[in-house]
Formats: sequence, structure tokens, C-alpha cells
Amino acid sequence: MEVWTVAVQSVPHLRFQVPFGRRSGAKQDRELQRKLGFCVSFGFESDISCLKSIKASLEDPSGYLSSWDFSNHTEGFICKFLGIERWHANESEVLNIKLSDLGLKGHFPRGLANCSYLTGLDLSGNKLSGPLPEDFGRILAFITTLDLSSNSFSGKIPRSLPNFSYLNVLKLENNEFSGEIPAQLGQLKRLKTFSVANNLLSGQVPNFGSHTAITAESYANNAGLCGKPLKRCQSTLVKALESNSVVIAAAAGFGIAFPFSVCFFLPRAPSVDRLRVFYRGFKLW
Amino acid sequence: MERKVGNSVCLWLILVAHPLWMTMVLANMEGDALHNLRTNLEDPNKVLQSWDPTLVNPCMWIHVTCNNENSVIRVDLGNAALSGQLVPQLGLLKNLQYLELYSNNISGPIPRELGNLTTLVSLDLYLNSFSGPIPDTLGKLSKLRFLRLNNNSLAGPIPMSLTNIYSLQVLDLSNNRLSGVVPDNGSFSLFTPISFANNMNLCGPVTGRPCPGSPPFSPPPPFVPPPPISIPDFKYGGPTHLKVPKCKVDMSYKHGRIDIGTREVLGSSGSPKKHL
Repeated sequence: MEVWTVAVQSVPHLRFQVPFGRRSGAKQDRELQRKLGFCVSFGFESDISCLKSIKASLEDPSGYLSSWDFSNHTEGFICKFLGIERWHANESEVLNIKLSDLGLKGHFPRGLANCSYLTGLDLSGNKLSGPLPEDFGRILAFITTLDLSSNSFSGKIPRSLPNFSYLNVLKLENNEFSGEIPAQLGQLKRLKTFSVANNLLSGQVPNFGSHTAITAESYANNAGLCGKPLKRCQSTLVKALESNSVVIAAAAGFGIAFPFSVCFFLPRAPSVDRLRVFYRGFKLW
Repeated sequence: MERKVGNSVCLWLILVAHPLWMTMVLANMEGDALHNLRTNLEDPNKVLQSWDPTLVNPCMWIHVTCNNENSVIRVDLGNAALSGQLVPQLGLLKNLQYLELYSNNISGPIPRELGNLTTLVSLDLYLNSFSGPIPDTLGKLSKLRFLRLNNNSLAGPIPMSLTNIYSLQVLDLSNNRLSGVVPDNGSFSLFTPISFANNMNLCGPVTGRPCPGSPPFSPPPPFVPPPPISIPDFKYGGPTHLKVPKCKVDMSYKHGRIDIGTREVLGSSGSPKKHL
């Protein structure tokens, strides 16, 4: 197993690709299986380390993950793990992980990167917290359903999230995400369900075009969000003016008061002469 | 004489019209179909030894599961060292839900008649030596949830009719010799490059290779999966003394929000249970 792991790591561009080598080695796997009487699956080690790291990084007060027992390597041990769904009946590659409403605590498990074939992740309804990793988009390249709703995740929605171009379902509602929603999310063509409601988000929402599934409800209860289908965002000039209001008021006042005072105090003369006086006065000053 | 004829006519009418008789005929037809399959397969491990065609129906055969009306709903022959070919008569199992033939050495084509199995939920032919095309008749399997044909020698295109199967949750066509465009519409919006990896000449946005004659992708996708690459053989030269668990028991975990369930439940001895 070590040989295979080293081989993968020595070819860095394979790191986030589909590990083709595992599947096409299946015929050799079967030959070995027949000879030796057990299954040899090269994708096995990666997915096991993925699940181990999830269990290690999460607090599990109710002990739901006790079924994830790595000590007993008898045949079929991974198959009894709660919340794990695999691609095939006789192989270990994890297809979906669903661990919702289990009272789990901790941060987002980075070890998920080793579940290279993962397409569905549901960690909703737990007590998970902290920010999502910035390289989120590289950790879960092939995810189609991502449900992190009803947790206490905070920080920004990672800018690498739009890398999930196969995302069909994105549920981030009921968390404490702040900052802006990455604009490139609007490019996710397969997105059918999307919600960031009940967070602390602000700024302009992405442009999803004429996407029918994205309504104002997708953004509800985020005081700072603006843009269609929400209220229009204020232009940047107005925003700048608002933020420097005292300075602007003073400048405006000076700009109005100065010409009036000049006109008032100058002796009455034809307009051209008045201008010459003004000009000389200005030069002296 | 006339009374005897009248009696036999009555007897025939009763036999033919009785529903139990019809059920027996049906069950026998299904037994015949499975027996046909048995004669077409080589079975060195004698897993089909219990398949006795003289029984009234196949429901007592090991690896065959029936419903309450003695009609076959499951055939579980995964990992059975079978070889030979499938038979068109498999299409007669009109209540079949699970056809598990994975990890054998079965060759030949996938019969088009499998498209008649309209109650089919799972079609697992992966890790065999099937050749020829994926029949477009499989598009009629409107209840199909699992379609795993990976690791065979299937050739030709991916039928567009498969995109109409909206119940499809898990698709694996990887490691074949398929070519042509990979759809990403309909039900295929759920599927990623994982499902199509390592084929002959697939093209389309999912693969990262434009199909010949079509314009380049516009706009370019944010994440472009790489084209299939051949892994050098040294990767497979792993130590042979490693013991890696074989997954035989799957826990069927019902999902509330993501309804994707693998309903395969196998007995702990490795041979399938008769009832779910």
C-alpha cells in the first residue's frame, strides 16, 4: 500500500484528478483476489484515511461514530459504518457521506480530501464551527450535493467554491458566514438548489442569469446582501460619499459659500471688471 | 362418451382460467428463463447447483429472491466466478428489481431485452467482460437507481435515452471502450468525470475534450477535468501480501434529505440472503 501512495504523491498533477489507476487495475485485483482469496483494492487506503481523519477531527458527544471502528480489519468492516455509502458493493470507495443531526462538534474535516470519489456530503444539523478551508474547491473536486446547513460555520464562503462545477445542490443556510458571496458562483450551470439564508453575508449577490431556482428566499435574513432579486445595490460613488460624509459636507459648504461671499463683498461694477477684480484678488491671495 | 368429453372440457376451463394456474405458468416461465441462463453460463464453483428446473417455481433456488406472488425480484450472483454469456430470456422477469451479476467473467453483449425489465432498480454488470454497445433500450428502465457497467469492454456511444431516467442516482461507465459525446443534460447533470473515466474516446464538457466539429466550450468551465491518462504499470506492482477487507455487508442507511440508498444487503457468509 505504501508503494502505491508514494507513487501517487510523486506525480503531483494526479493529486486532484480521478485516480484512474485504481479502476483500471481492477482486473489484476480480481486475479489476485482469486489467487489469494481476498480483495486488493488500491483506492482502499485513501478512503480509509479519509474516514479516520473525519472521526479524529470531530467531537462526537453522542457516540454515533462508534460504529466507525478501525481496529478490527476483518472483511467488510467499512461497510457497517454509519452514514457511509459506497460506489460499489465489493469496493471501499466512498460515494456519499451523510452525518446529519448527530450533535457533532469541531471544524470542517480537511481529511475529506482523501475521499477522492466523494459526490455527496451532508453534515447539516450539527454543531460544527470555524471557517471553511480556502482550498475547499480542491478538497472536494467532484461534489454534486453539499449540505452544511444548520451549523455554526463562520468566516467567508471560500472563493474556490465555484470550482465545484458539478454542484447541483448547495445548502449553506443557518450558519454564521460573513463577507461576500463569491461572484463566480453564478457560473455554476448545474445548480438547482441554492440557499445561504440566515447568515451574516453582505455585498452583491452573484449573477445567476435567468436561473429559476434562485429567488429572494435563497438569500433571506442577510441584512447586507443586495442585487437582483434583492434590492438594488447602491453605486460605489454614493457609497464613498456616505462613508466620508463629514468631509464632503465641509467641501460642499465651502464650494457654495465662497462664490457667494465674493459676489457680495465686491463693489458693484460691470461683470467683466468684477471678474478682473476677482482675478487680481485671487492672485494676491 | 359425451359426459366424459364434457367433464374434460370443464376440467380444462377450470385449469386455464384459475389465477393460481396462471401464476404457476408465469413462475414457471421465469424459472425457464433462469434455467436458460444457467445453461449458458459456466459455473465452476457450482453456485447454480440448486437451480432445479423441475421445481414449480424458482423461488427456492439459492441466489434467487421472489415476492409474495412467487415472482422473481432479485438475482444475486455477484462474485461467483461465472463465465459464459447472458440470454435474452432475462427480459421475461417482469418484476425483477435487482440484477446483480458483478465481478464475474461473463462475456458477450448486454441483451437488448433487459430494457423490458421496467421495475428494475439496480443493474450491476460491472467487473466482467461484456462487449458490444450499451443498448439504448435501457432508457426504458424508468425506475432505475443504480446503473454500474464499469470495468468491461463495452464500446460505442452512451445512449442519450439514459438521460431520461430521472430516478438514476449512481452511474458508473468507467473503464470501458466507449466513445462519443458524454451527455450532461437531464439526469446526467448529477454525474461527474468519475462516472466516465478511462474510456476510449469520450468527448464533451464533462471530459474536458471538445467533440470534433463542435465549437470550444464557452464559457470555459471553472474546473476542467483532465483527459484520461494511462497510469504506468508500476502502480499495480503493489505488495501482494496485503490483506484488504472485502466489503460484503452493506448497511442500508436511509437518508432523509439525500435519498440515495444502496439497498444491497448480503448475508455475513457472503452468500445473499433470500429476503430483504
